[in-house]
Amino acid sequence: MTITELITVILLVVGCFFFLAGTLGVLRFPDLFSRLHALTKADNLGLGFIAAGIALHIASPWSALKIFFIWLFTLLASSTSCYLIAKFQREQHKPQNGKEQE
Amino acid sequence: METYQIYSLTSAVLFVIGIGGVFMARHFIKKIIATIIMGGGVFLSLVSFAARDALAFADPVPHALVITGIVVAVASAAFALALARRIYQLTGEESFTIDK
Amino acid sequence: MSVLIDIILAILAIYLALQSLLAPRLSQSVFLFFAFGLALALAWIRLGAVDVAITEAAIAAGFLGALFLDALRDFSVSDTEKQENTKADQSLVSAKNTNSPWLPRLALGLGLGLFLLISLEAVWEIPSGGGLTELAEAMLPASGVEHPVTAVLLNYRAYDTWLEIGVILMGLLAIFAVGGRELYRKPVMAVQDPLLRQVILFFTPVLFLFGAFLLYVGKTGPGGAFQAAVLWGAIGILLHLGGWPVFAVIPRWLRQLLLTAGLGFFLLLGFLFIAGGNALFEYPPAYAGFLILIVETLAAISIAAALTAIFANLNQMKETPNETETTT
Repeated sequence: MTITELITVILLVVGCFFFLAGTLGVLRFPDLFSRLHALTKADNLGLGFIAAGIALHIASPWSALKIFFIWLFTLLASSTSCYLIAKFQREQHKPQNGKEQE
Repeated sequence: METYQIYSLTSAVLFVIGIGGVFMARHFIKKIIATIIMGGGVFLSLVSFAARDALAFADPVPHALVITGIVVAVASAAFALALARRIYQLTGEESFTIDK
Repeated sequence: MSVLIDIILAILAIYLALQSLLAPRLSQSVFLFFAFGLALALAWIRLGAVDVAITEAAIAAGFLGALFLDALRDFSVSDTEKQENTKADQSLVSAKNTNSPWLPRLALGLGLGLFLLISLEAVWEIPSGGGLTELAEAMLPASGVEHPVTAVLLNYRAYDTWLEIGVILMGLLAIFAVGGRELYRKPVMAVQDPLLRQVILFFTPVLFLFGAFLLYVGKTGPGGAFQAAVLWGAIGILLHLGGWPVFAVIPRWLRQLLLTAGLGFFLLLGFLFIAGGNALFEYPPAYAGFLILIVETLAAISIAAALTAIFANLNQMKETPNETETTT
């Protein structure tokens, strides 16, 4: 196993760990806002690690650029949709923020 | 067990789930989803047969058929959705009710 | 090891399909349907059908999911109020004929089980035949493209693809007929959110470029007209949702031209081939690549316009009845 493969494996495992943490957060957190927080932050970090690992594995600069752009656009889309969902929730259910708890 | 065999068995199960859904589901949207799942089973069986005798690449004819089929299925599902929403707006019903 | 991944994916797809039909709330079942489409896309990548995977993820999960989500606005508003009504109705119905429901259910269950066994056996016992792989591979140099799936779609079986564009157009016409009276109106409440507007403006050129890339790369690899069409259709949908209803703004003739360009050019090309002494859609090999690229571009534009129009029409169905109530 070369050093590149080792780094790839480590990056992928770390990415999977963050995905797992994000999923756990979505399942276990009490209300919508903390769930959104877990979903966007942890999952985007995990996706970044996985993208880095795959880019290292492919080892061609052109593909690495494409993978980087995929990550960037996913970040942009997910943060925007997170913001929109949170805003909708605040406007619609202002008095019942913690309603998801029950 | 080969890869394609797993998916052809899955396709049969999906098709039966879809048929069951078409009969059992009450709401329009669930019925539409059930037909899409049925279609997914058929497409999966076609593609898994294509993967069976792959040489340099899998058989491209079923792939092209499936792409065509997905688009047609989506167009018809969109039409079904339009019908369902119209029925709901005109009568307020969300499913086929047999009573009365 | 790889078989393990396949088994997990297969179980996941079956579980998601079951759950999306059994979920108690409508919104849950729509989101599970999203997930089911994506699981199916992964299964297609495992089977080596990357074109199909892109189409599935883009159209069946993405576009159809957006349509379902939009339909939820109609149905889920009354969910809580209607719950009691339907419950009362159900108890009434079940009180009326308490003894009959189990018999058809038993029959249905038995029939489904039998059908499952038969179809499993049929799928298992399918005779191994050669398929058309060798033929498709042998004719590839004459087709003008290098990717076999694109060759089948736009050269060998161009007739199917042509009619398929027609089917989408027919679907759009049927939705027109079902929908409201006015074809395109500006949305009643445009989105005022500055961030959303900026992001949509940012994504418009990106999606356009990505679609053009998919269209061009279809010549040599996975990609092509349908995948590009969905991305371009996504531009129209995003603009519509962001308060720029493209189809309400542009003149009527341009709309009709956009919608029919693909179908019309395809047909014109076919007639020209017939006039030149060939069969319908029999490209002369020297120009095949160039002609296919033009046909694909126009088809993608038409399909994108049709998808946008379908979404716009379904999206404004919600507002139609209120207006008729106020006018009459």
